[in-house]
Amino acid sequence: MSRSNILKLGAALALVSAAFAGPALAASGAKSPRTLGYVVTQWDYATYESPFADECPEGLAVGNDEYWWRGLSRADKDKLTNTGLIQPIDRRGTAVLRGPQGEDVCWKPEIVKDPPMRTVKGKLAFGFNLDGTTDGKATPKSCAHEKFTGVDNTPGVDNQVYRLLGCLYGWRRNGVMDAYDDEERRNSGRGVILMEITNVDDARNDDAVDITFYRAIDPFSLDATGKILPYGSYRIDMANGKPRYGATAKGKIVNGVLTTTPIDLSLPYYANSIFAEMRLRDMQFRLELPQGEGKAKGLMGGYYDFDKWWEYMMKAEFLVATGDWSCPAMWEAAHRLADGYPDKDGKCTALSTAFKVEALPAFIVHQDRTAAAR
Amino acid sequence: MIRKLASLALLSLTLAGCGPTEPQTTGGPAVTRRLTESQYRSVIADVFGPQIVVAGRFDPLLRTDGLLTIGAGSATVGAAAFERFHALARSIAAQVTDTTNRDVLVGCGPQDLRTADDSCATEFYSRIGRLLFRRPLTTDEVRDQVKLAREATAVRGDFYTGLAYGLQTLLEAPDFLFVVERANGKQLDDYAKATRLSLLLWNTSPDDVLLQAAEGGKLKTEDGLKQEVDRMIASPRFKDGVRAFFTDMLSLDDTTNLQKDTTLFPAFTLTAANDGKEQTLRTLVDLLVTRNVDYRDIFTTRETHISNALGLIYRVGVNDPSGWSRFDFPSDDPRAGIQSQVGFVALHSHPGKSSPTLRGKAIRELLLCQRVPDPPGNVNFDKFNDPDSPLRTARERLAAHANDPACAGCHKLTDPIGLALENFDGLGQIRDNENGAALDLSGDLDGVKYANGAELAKALHDNPAAASCVVNRAFTYAAGRQTVSDEKAFVVYLEKTFADSGYKFPSLIRRIALSDAFYAVSGQGAGQSPAAAKAGTTEDKS
Amino acid sequence: MSFLIKRPAARREILRGLLGGAAVALPLPYLEIFLNTHGTALASGAPLPVRFGTWFWSMGHTPGYAVDPNTDQLTFLKECEALTPYKSRINYFGYFNSPLDGHPNHVHQSGWITVRTGTAPPKPADILAPTLDVLVSDHIGGSTRFRSLDMGCTGNPKDSLTARSTHVRNPSEVSPIALYARVFGPGFADPNSAEFKPDPDLMLQKSVLSGVEEQRKRFEKVLGAADKARMDEFATSVRELEHQLALQSEKPAPADACRIAAKPDDMPMGTELPVAQANHEALTKILTLAVACNQTRVFNMSFNDTLSSIRKPGTAYTHHTLTHEEPVDKNLGYQPEAFWFNCRSMDALAAFIKAFESVREGAGTLLDNTLIFAHAETSFAKIHQIDNIPMFTIGTAGGKLKTGRHIAGHGDPVTRVGLTALQAMGLPLEKWGQGSLQTAKPIGEILV
Repeated sequence: MSRSNILKLGAALALVSAAFAGPALAASGAKSPRTLGYVVTQWDYATYESPFADECPEGLAVGNDEYWWRGLSRADKDKLTNTGLIQPIDRRGTAVLRGPQGEDVCWKPEIVKDPPMRTVKGKLAFGFNLDGTTDGKATPKSCAHEKFTGVDNTPGVDNQVYRLLGCLYGWRRNGVMDAYDDEERRNSGRGVILMEITNVDDARNDDAVDITFYRAIDPFSLDATGKILPYGSYRIDMANGKPRYGATAKGKIVNGVLTTTPIDLSLPYYANSIFAEMRLRDMQFRLELPQGEGKAKGLMGGYYDFDKWWEYMMKAEFLVATGDWSCPAMWEAAHRLADGYPDKDGKCTALSTAFKVEALPAFIVHQDRTAAAR
Repeated sequence: MIRKLASLALLSLTLAGCGPTEPQTTGGPAVTRRLTESQYRSVIADVFGPQIVVAGRFDPLLRTDGLLTIGAGSATVGAAAFERFHALARSIAAQVTDTTNRDVLVGCGPQDLRTADDSCATEFYSRIGRLLFRRPLTTDEVRDQVKLAREATAVRGDFYTGLAYGLQTLLEAPDFLFVVERANGKQLDDYAKATRLSLLLWNTSPDDVLLQAAEGGKLKTEDGLKQEVDRMIASPRFKDGVRAFFTDMLSLDDTTNLQKDTTLFPAFTLTAANDGKEQTLRTLVDLLVTRNVDYRDIFTTRETHISNALGLIYRVGVNDPSGWSRFDFPSDDPRAGIQSQVGFVALHSHPGKSSPTLRGKAIRELLLCQRVPDPPGNVNFDKFNDPDSPLRTARERLAAHANDPACAGCHKLTDPIGLALENFDGLGQIRDNENGAALDLSGDLDGVKYANGAELAKALHDNPAAASCVVNRAFTYAAGRQTVSDEKAFVVYLEKTFADSGYKFPSLIRRIALSDAFYAVSGQGAGQSPAAAKAGTTEDKS
Repeated sequence: MSFLIKRPAARREILRGLLGGAAVALPLPYLEIFLNTHGTALASGAPLPVRFGTWFWSMGHTPGYAVDPNTDQLTFLKECEALTPYKSRINYFGYFNSPLDGHPNHVHQSGWITVRTGTAPPKPADILAPTLDVLVSDHIGGSTRFRSLDMGCTGNPKDSLTARSTHVRNPSEVSPIALYARVFGPGFADPNSAEFKPDPDLMLQKSVLSGVEEQRKRFEKVLGAADKARMDEFATSVRELEHQLALQSEKPAPADACRIAAKPDDMPMGTELPVAQANHEALTKILTLAVACNQTRVFNMSFNDTLSSIRKPGTAYTHHTLTHEEPVDKNLGYQPEAFWFNCRSMDALAAFIKAFESVREGAGTLLDNTLIFAHAETSFAKIHQIDNIPMFTIGTAGGKLKTGRHIAGHGDPVTRVGLTALQAMGLPLEKWGQGSLQTAKPIGEILV
């Protein structure tokens, strides 16, 4: 569809809301100022992988099963595997129960001590410079930590979640965690994130726009083969008369690239049948907006609240074998690497992170009623 | 509802007062027609309730004189079709008598379930049979089913299982599968009247009230007939009748087999195809029944209803993505009239591309009741195939046809109309070029020039053939047969009164339902329908 | 009309004594005897049952690229390459014509109607005489559960080339799962199973049909002559179902070639070539086993619809539109894409033949006891030509036909081929067809 037609349709939507006084619609196009609606189709940790895994010189991290297995006697091993006839997947439930009294080590990660987790030693990463330093020294809102150089050569990039997860099998390119999560969101239509860019006078260059994030209550619009289609309509998840999620950032568009000033916000996170929430601080965005139709692509970065981050990791304990991590080792490493928002004792309570994001044009439906929450 | 009754009252006054009077007709032959799939489904739902699953395929009817309903007047039941009706009847009878439904639907039974209960069976077959056969059953008919139930109960050892066999017999009897019209002299008899009325107004067989009216002779009197017609038009069921009529007139059932290339048209899904049909029906019912506007507005309307699957194709937002939402295209939008909706432009296209010829032919034949001849056998495509001058747009390709005298005659009838809709691709998505070339949407319809589809919409609205087409189709649909020469004056009268009413569709249907012509039968004997077979598959000549 | 044949009476009496559960001795069907020791015939000396089927493809052939016209030795060229391995089992018929006696050539319709009915349709949808498969099934279809199985591969049940008349058409089964359910689902009795216990419901179903017949007689009394004729067709349909039920209540004769088909997967349907090919393969598989298990002796398969909607995924042009709109490649001398599609139709025919040949029956294969009549609706689709419509017969019809011949018709009516096939199937016909299509001259060269 040509640009001019998109404009016409945008006008059509404006008319709809005027004529029926029904819920207003945000469209990917409207006359001055315009609104650009997007539905997020992909939301993955931005991890950098070199061709020969140079960023993990010690190799990939050792997972829970390995530590558990090492701790068993020969007799126990034979009993557990029926001398090789029982597969590891059938041992999943027991493998995490390796506390001294059989405690779950994901629920009590401090109950055993594993060797330190192998983390990223490389210099390159995706992300933003969140603390403003180039050397990673402590500031009032950050703890001392190591810096990366951006894959695009940006100096002083912060991305401690990448440092933590980058050598874990599950989060690498052939791993299953993020790829499966996107797939699951596509199928289930849960945790769908909407982005609405408003006050757009010029979609290519505009020095003042707003970008608001919502959760949708409608599932993705899919084609016959299951691919997500552009131009679907999505209602905003409402609670008590206002959007359940609805943080707005200020931004600008330069040559079709949207950047924002940092904001604190919460976003839904649904993956692996787990409902969780991302609590993000100093979150900023760099989104390349497509000309005409097509996907918006970009990067979002900020500090991920430690407790919220761990909540998901803990709920995902049934995947430790699939993703091959150890809860005690990860818990220890994550505390060690936490670099944002020190508490009164100087201990940091957040991890810098970055996400790769893709989004398709969509119509965002503002309802004038409270919708049922999922 | 009050407003509707008031407007009906006003309508009655108009009918009773001035205006042209109905010309005398001797009527056409009575017709024996096979129930259509949608009628069959409606009847089962009405008689037994919507919980009864009618799972099965129905044999297609042959579109005759523009309507499947007329084809139903010549349809028979071949071996494969009967096998399917048999399976359906068996499944329905089993459901009606199962433990979930028997208490409500049968309502009686023996103390000992292993024994027969003739009085319960008699009551059941009489009550249900009357609704299925659209007339009371004869004593012999009831007796036969009761006997079968008794024998079957003995074999199967269960009363309700036995009862099902008699019901199954009724459900595959010709009296149910075929609507037969008996006459009383020169008029249909009261049951045939009731059935015609009910099929026309509600697309189902007569309900208990209407059968009582028939039994009590009410339909013989002008007041009695009027009372029933007005009751039925005021009912929400009238919308079912209107939907069935336009489904037939616009060939919307063909949507079932609609196929699109999903690589070229990813937004095409089964849901989108069904929703395309539903959108057109909702648009028509909303305009013509709920709002009772000028029929011709269907060609120009931008007011419609859409679902999310359609929003993806139209690329507009949908207020309620989980269902249907009212949606109006802006007044300058190229999308105007039902002929611009997915249910039309996608249906009359190829799987991978649009077709101005198919669209033009559909507008001529379905909306204007004009006949477009079939293509000749001796077409020479050589000019058209010249590899040295690649033709990018459909207009360019069809121009090659139009320059060939063998093709030009028909393509001139269809292509200019279809070309005005070329800004909708094979799925109905908007586009402003074809293969990179700009689109020229101009043309003329019977001498009226237009620059684009929206202007074509206006030309269709103003074309006298549009209104006379729906009048003709409505009457032949109602009668289940093509008009006979004696009825020409009556059709002209219908056209005139339709115009006088401001082209109000319910008023047209009401006038047909109250007319003498609708119930008149030519003197070829009760229940005879010699012309039904003769009618063959001749198309309209115009 | 010479093609009207009296159908064998349905075996309606068989079950009468069974109602109420009383056991009576049933007369055995003629098939309930064993094969002779050579596996070529039944022990009585009667040959193995012979089956008849049609196979249809649309858009014909590219002239000069299908069969070598210059020799009476059957020689397949590039477009028919796939058929070469089966050359000895095939006859090809070229240069037979379809005179229309002044009726227009209804494109993609008139051609097949002349081939199958021996009549020229005045209007596109007119079927003035039964298609030849219906005549065959009236003659031999009574001994099996289904008089005929009719299939199409492009998803639309309306795409069917078998009809008794304009208003009595036999829609195609388009879903392999549905075909499987119809043949091998409830109601199927394994002919080789030692156990057989008729369902008491069958007897009651028969009573239902008697009741329906009773109603029909009452119903008919109020009808005019034309509608009475329609009710005759209804009566025939009731009788055919009675017959089906009667066969189901007898222990079926053993069939050594019978294997129960595997349940097919749920498959997409549509006009994309890979989809149509997959459906053709799945339907064919079920069909061959249905035939081997004596569930039917007559079948009709349409590979594509008469207006070939077959297309490559992701392309805007169908096979049909290509035949008209694709430029002729000056180097190749034909329309390359349309040609490619024609080749795929021949691939499918070859696969169909292979499927029949791969079922062992007696000392030979199912193909030995089958006559497949394959043809198109046009000869050269680009110009809608209906003279020289390509036709094949495949198989020997139980030794009734010689094969491996290329027969040139020299402008004779196409009905000569149909008449030959009908006679090979044992129909007592002297002549067949109407008007200029009438012929009394079968093709003697191939009749044994």
